[in-house]
Amino acid sequence: MELGPIFRALMYNKSRFWLITLEVALTLAIVANCVNLLLDTRREFLRDTGLDEPNLLVISTTPFDDAFDEDDFVHALEEEDLRRLRSTPGVVDAMAIQQIPLSGGGSATGRRPIDAPPESEGTGMPYFRVSDHALQTLGVELTAGRDFAEGDFEEREEGSENELGRNVILTQAAADALFPDGGAVGQQIQNSGGEIVDVVVGVVRKMHNSWPRSEFAANGEVVMLKPGSPGSAERMRYMVRSEPGAIDSLYTEVEALMLQTQSGRVVDVQTLTEYKEDYYSDALVMIKMLTSVVVLLLVVTALGIVGLTSFSVTQRTRQIGTRRALGATRTDIVRYFLIENWMITGIGIVIGIVLTYGLNYALVQYADVPTIEWTFLIGGALAMWLTGILAAVAPALRASTVAPEIATRSV
Amino acid sequence: MLAYQIRIAFKSLRRNPLQSGLLIAGVALGIAISTSFVTTYYMLSGDPIPEKSDRLFHVAVDSWDPDNGWDSDHPEYAPNQLTYTDVRGLMQSDLPTYQSAAFKAAMTVQPEAENEKPYREIVRMAFSDFFPMFNVPFQYGTGWSRSADEGPDPVVVIDAETNRKLFGGEDSVGRTLRLDNRDYTVVGVLDEWRPTIHFYDVNNNPFEEPEAIYLPFNFVEPLELQSSGNDSGWKFYAGNEFQDFLQSESVWLQLWVQLDDRRQQEEYKSFLDAYVMEQKKAGRFQRPLNNRIYPVMEWLEREEVTPDQAKVMLIIGALFLIVCSVNLIGILLGKFLARAPEVGVRRALGASRTSVFMQHLVECELIGALGGALGLGLSVLVLRVINRWFDNQFQFQLDLTMVLAATLLALAAGFIAGVYPSWRICRVAPATYLKIQ
Repeated sequence: MELGPIFRALMYNKSRFWLITLEVALTLAIVANCVNLLLDTRREFLRDTGLDEPNLLVISTTPFDDAFDEDDFVHALEEEDLRRLRSTPGVVDAMAIQQIPLSGGGSATGRRPIDAPPESEGTGMPYFRVSDHALQTLGVELTAGRDFAEGDFEEREEGSENELGRNVILTQAAADALFPDGGAVGQQIQNSGGEIVDVVVGVVRKMHNSWPRSEFAANGEVVMLKPGSPGSAERMRYMVRSEPGAIDSLYTEVEALMLQTQSGRVVDVQTLTEYKEDYYSDALVMIKMLTSVVVLLLVVTALGIVGLTSFSVTQRTRQIGTRRALGATRTDIVRYFLIENWMITGIGIVIGIVLTYGLNYALVQYADVPTIEWTFLIGGALAMWLTGILAAVAPALRASTVAPEIATRSV
Repeated sequence: MLAYQIRIAFKSLRRNPLQSGLLIAGVALGIAISTSFVTTYYMLSGDPIPEKSDRLFHVAVDSWDPDNGWDSDHPEYAPNQLTYTDVRGLMQSDLPTYQSAAFKAAMTVQPEAENEKPYREIVRMAFSDFFPMFNVPFQYGTGWSRSADEGPDPVVVIDAETNRKLFGGEDSVGRTLRLDNRDYTVVGVLDEWRPTIHFYDVNNNPFEEPEAIYLPFNFVEPLELQSSGNDSGWKFYAGNEFQDFLQSESVWLQLWVQLDDRRQQEEYKSFLDAYVMEQKKAGRFQRPLNNRIYPVMEWLEREEVTPDQAKVMLIIGALFLIVCSVNLIGILLGKFLARAPEVGVRRALGASRTSVFMQHLVECELIGALGGALGLGLSVLVLRVINRWFDNQFQFQLDLTMVLAATLLALAAGFIAGVYPSWRICRVAPATYLKIQ
């Protein structure tokens, strides 16, 4: 092939060569890093939460009537609310819970095995206080031990020993953090002062806590479910698992249902997905912003290449005419410009790969983004290469229409 | 001369409207994207109260677990909030110009009108100094007095939005607001107030709007209010009563003080140390002495308020403008060199290299200026889209600094992109073109 002559001709006009190279290199660096970042964010957003996320509805009620100051009233109302929710058509199951998973707001405490040395650091333990039917409502999968039983929910007598201890269920991540050698079921765990001792009765495969975006608690996978009556005069919250497809109609119905059961409270209904989207909102906006930038950047670069290549075609009209007059076919001309373009883009990509790593290094240092994966680099390089070729097609075709007799004319 | 060059430049742009349009659009796009991204960063990281941020201090004392520090990655950090006991003790000081402990609580607003549903609202519990300390603007009335703090008197300050919702936006000072079954008298209505960062409490969402309702802090005990923000504890406490919680080692309150000069700041630091030494005698504060007062910007930095995404956006925005500039160089080069025959004739007729160079540079600056103006307009739209994406949680908008910066940036881009092509064209040798003609 005529690579040598093409390259030498290219070097005859260095500014065009360098401009395209620079543009391709910069664009590749930016696009590859943006794609890396947005796919990472997306993956983070879409990762398995262990919950039956699309079918879960959250009902938050906040009392303002003084009647709610009585513990017995709240307790009885909670049972009544749950009974009515569970008998509503379209509801698979319902539970009471004091905080909402995936919402950014929750409670955490610390636990360590009861026989751990006192100076050892405990495990940070996000927890949810839950009513019965918790596992069925959340849709989490029990992998060891047992579900909560009726007796687990009884309040212990005030002032009795280990009054606040309960039979609890852990996620696998929590069990692994406390008992790296396995065998969590049946073990006792306590808080740092030893005043509360819980017994692990079951382990579920996976469930995200309130902060899955944080590195805290194994990226949000450490959870302790503690049985009890989670409602209080401050706030009573429920989660409802709907049958597939029934969530929209439930969404509109439940507020009236709750107020019909008991007025004197404000009822707020949202899907779990809404809580999650809210918690991730800045990341979701970033995905949109990055996507727009990537698209715009590719368009700008493509236009730039079109412009520079057209200009070079115009400049070399006479040479093209001469080649045609000397016997070059139209295909030869198109091929010439495409190969030339392919060479420039190729060199740009090589420089761009170096730049990509440089930019990624800077971003990792400055803004704590993930290290780039080489697959994105290959993808980005292919996208750039394709953009370069496509951008050169139109000017190259125009070049091939130059008539041979141009060579014999002066301008 | 300049006027003449600008006229010629306009003429040249009009000769090839498509190409000129592309050039201007390129600059505009680069300016629009970079300006709006930089604005985003600038608003998420900028000083929320520039007039006095170096005189306002967040108070931190290390009351945390003797065995494990507050932040294992930063052993020098004291907890980010205070216990109720310490707030009570530290508020005794008469050193600060202003001081206020505060926290947010959720309460139910019960509108007077029968047909309006009660709703939940976030209430900030604070001392009277909160308003003058943070330069909070008032539309009607004022904050409450220091004596109302002591009562506590049933007084309330509401924001403009709440005033519109409940009282139709009129002067509601003296009217009654019902919260959680108790009546409070409105003493002040805030004017529009939206610091870009919720700097006085960055515990949950550091960019949330200021609270809608403000009550005297001392209602915390009679109303048994708990924080709707974060509270963290390390020490188990017995008992279920509210007093047990208040006396516990849970940290859940923010304390801000205004200290106007070095002397005042030093004195306040000595006061903090003396307070903690006194507490140590009572068996609390078993960690090494570690008291600090953080000016606003240092506090925001410690709490890592600026999201990483905003930093990434800043870099990407700047790089985008660079790519647009490189693009500009290419198109300008083509445009100018295509004009070489004409320039050759002008050179032969006596135009100096300098005047050819200047002529073309002016044309580039004209493109930069037009593109910059268009880009500024576009960036208003882009910011609007970004605001919508954020559900208007933020109000990103251009301010004078950003407009000036964008204008300079556009002219700089025009200049940087224009120098090389202008230099190339002024080097044209007249003879070549005269021969062909």
